Amino acid sequence: MSRARFALFSIIPLALAAAFVGPGTSQSQSQTPKSGGVLNMMLREELSQGFSIHETSTISTVWPAMPCLNNLVLFDPLKKTESVDTIIGELAEKWSWQDNYRNLVFFLRKGVKWHDGQPFTSKDVKFTFDMLREAPDAPAKLRINPRKDWYANIEAIETPDTHTAVFRLKKPQPSLLLMLASGYTPVYAAHVPPAEYRTNCVGTGPFKLKEWRKGEYVEFVKNPDYFVKGRPHLDGLKYFVIVERGTRQAAIQAGKLDVSFPGETTKTAAEQLKKAVPQLVITPFSQNVADNIIMNIKKPPFDNLKVRLAVSHAIDRRALIQAVHQGGAVVGAALAPKPWGFWGLAEKDLLGLPGYGAKAAEEKALARKLVAEAGFSREKPLKVEIVTRAIAVYVDMASFVINELKQVGIEATLKQIETAQWHAMATRGDYQIGANLTGVGPDDPDANYYENYACGSPRNYSQYCNEEVMKMFDAQSQELDPKKRLALNAAIQKKLEADAARPILDWKLDYFTVWPHVKNLIPHQSIYNFGRMQEVWSDK
Amino acid sequence: MKTYVIQRLVIAVLTLLGMSVVIFTLLRLAPGDIVDILFSTAGYVSPSEKQAIMKELGIDRPYWVQYVDWLRQMLSGDLGKSYRYDQPAWQIIRPLVPVTLELAALSTLFAVLIGVPTGVISAVRQDTTLDYVLRVFSLAGLSMPAFWLGMVIILGLVTWFAWIPPLSYVSPAQDLKLHAVQFLLPALAVGYRSSALIMRITRSSLLEVMREDYIRTAWAKGQTGRVVIWRHALKNALLPVVTVIGIEFAFLIGGLVVTETVFNLPGVARFLVQAILWRDYPIVQNLVMFIAIVVILSNLLVDMLYGVLDPRVRYGG
Repeated sequence: MSRARFALFSIIPLALAAAFVGPGTSQSQSQTPKSGGVLNMMLREELSQGFSIHETSTISTVWPAMPCLNNLVLFDPLKKTESVDTIIGELAEKWSWQDNYRNLVFFLRKGVKWHDGQPFTSKDVKFTFDMLREAPDAPAKLRINPRKDWYANIEAIETPDTHTAVFRLKKPQPSLLLMLASGYTPVYAAHVPPAEYRTNCVGTGPFKLKEWRKGEYVEFVKNPDYFVKGRPHLDGLKYFVIVERGTRQAAIQAGKLDVSFPGETTKTAAEQLKKAVPQLVITPFSQNVADNIIMNIKKPPFDNLKVRLAVSHAIDRRALIQAVHQGGAVVGAALAPKPWGFWGLAEKDLLGLPGYGAKAAEEKALARKLVAEAGFSREKPLKVEIVTRAIAVYVDMASFVINELKQVGIEATLKQIETAQWHAMATRGDYQIGANLTGVGPDDPDANYYENYACGSPRNYSQYCNEEVMKMFDAQSQELDPKKRLALNAAIQKKLEADAARPILDWKLDYFTVWPHVKNLIPHQSIYNFGRMQEVWSDK
Repeated sequence: MKTYVIQRLVIAVLTLLGMSVVIFTLLRLAPGDIVDILFSTAGYVSPSEKQAIMKELGIDRPYWVQYVDWLRQMLSGDLGKSYRYDQPAWQIIRPLVPVTLELAALSTLFAVLIGVPTGVISAVRQDTTLDYVLRVFSLAGLSMPAFWLGMVIILGLVTWFAWIPPLSYVSPAQDLKLHAVQFLLPALAVGYRSSALIMRITRSSLLEVMREDYIRTAWAKGQTGRVVIWRHALKNALLPVVTVIGIEFAFLIGGLVVTETVFNLPGVARFLVQAILWRDYPIVQNLVMFIAIVVILSNLLVDMLYGVLDPRVRYGG
């Protein structure tokens, strides 16, 4: 494949984006919002931990729980690109970096009330973040705390008065603000036991929980005391649990639902919907979820870099995108590529990485050479067991990978692992090679690196650990100059692919679908951060 | 008769006890538990945190202790607490039961209303064009899975009328018409399949009875066709049909999974699958026991009906 064809592959999703997006998204911001109406939305499964966002890593909880809660800061719901420049205050009216990015001071809003009438103060902020970072004197503990590592750099949280909170950091970390702006980072009420969020939602958010009928729906009503005047525009929200995908699609088509589920609509499904109901507004955006290969670096044969690189060279990423995602994904390395993400490598840089080359035949030849150099041959083939989660999206990708590996002399058999066993198995490193999906909360290097590539992280399934790379992670994290940070991240991504730490195959796109009367619901480059709903209005 | 019923009830209790052992054991044999699922939604695993949650839920105790505890709770009318929802299991299960019972009853009603008359007509008009048409109709019903038919109905409705049934349960008190529509469509999809079976059993059973001497005698006495078929033949041919209806109803209680899923009805079967996937032991154990009780009771009812339908059948000496 030539460089021009590679460029074409990058352009196609953008062209499709232009074709799909109807009126509404851009026009809605210039229209005067109307008050009233209820938005009907879907959930593909029951809320796994109720409204306890801090105890899950799934959009199935974040999406329906976000409207009830607030962060200190949030990515502007009206801007589709998330960056430090698009962060707005929520419970924090203002914030200020001090002492060369070692102290982050939040000046909190006054007069904010929890849904049960209690006042919001800095005590709630300290309570939440001490609990999250598991401070020795934390007054409460989460049952499950998946993002503890996000807050590892916080040394202390001080509350000089009821409306000021100071985050004292061990070392400068400008990107902390981006993690605090994620949908994964709401503030909990100090007077409510954290366990209660699994069954109830006491927030400060624009909507109050009315009813959660288990397995059926979650219903919210407008919070009349919301601290942002004139918000929310809608009177309520209703999220229906619909397990069957065909029924979900029929419900959208019939107009029973106003909005699709983030990360749910494939390109093919979007095309079918658009054909059936041309007025639907479909917006392609990055799910911030990557297909990737995990290889257990602690065990043979993947302790051998040549074998890992052979695997990376063998898989034709562009063919995978066409065959498995029908074009609904893009090529990228450890961070989502532009324009879908902010930090990803440019196409010219990607072309030089193992497996990303434009000519698939050449990549496969290189892979065969590496397999031979590692000591394997036709007589003594490399046989591996590839594990994947027993879910269609995983199995489809794994099947493709197996076929690719076969072409370079790696005989792989598939072993499907039930969801209940998957993470335990991967964390234990009880596998050789796996086909995996990884979702990242905010589109920020820190959130991704420290979770998925850092030494000792439970989510670092490949158990890749490189002290030199760890220093690079810290350096980019502390870098204050955005341009320099971008350059550092480019170097890190190249290094991770050169080490075949966790070869990234593609970044998936979602084709977010709404009816034209839904205004100001703008998908971001991460599915986890745009569910607050306070700006959304209905033009029905 | 009384002795027979008491005997059957004793056997039913023993069967339920056996069922409780089987379901308890099978659930524990399945890989993983609720804590693994909780961690899978968080995307990581921590052995120490896992141990703490197991202790909190009481699943770190020896199996026999858990089993005895469950039996004790059941006998005292307490179904325990759902691991997933942290709420009493009965509170979760209670709203599901009427949905499934209503759907199963309606489906069975449709099945009987379609299956018995068409079976009789098919037998009476044996080897005529009408018989062939009805047999093809029933064969089609047997060949089409209810969930497929359900999905076709949904897609047909959305394509032609841009309409689908309600997405959440509508109680009769809320809107009787909408409630009826919500249940009639899935009941038709399920009932059609069951009717095919009932039709075939009715037909073959009736054909067999029609060749009996007493039927010939009835014809010879000059009785009308209606009296011979509906009064003498069908009543005696109904024994296997009633058996099948009983089995079908019992099967539907747990077998409506896909239909409830396709029509998004919050019933027992759909919820049971979700509970199994989450290894929510209290919910699964109690729902399976509920299904077992329905199966046993429907079998008992069928046995009682034998005596009503055929005076030759007598119980308890």
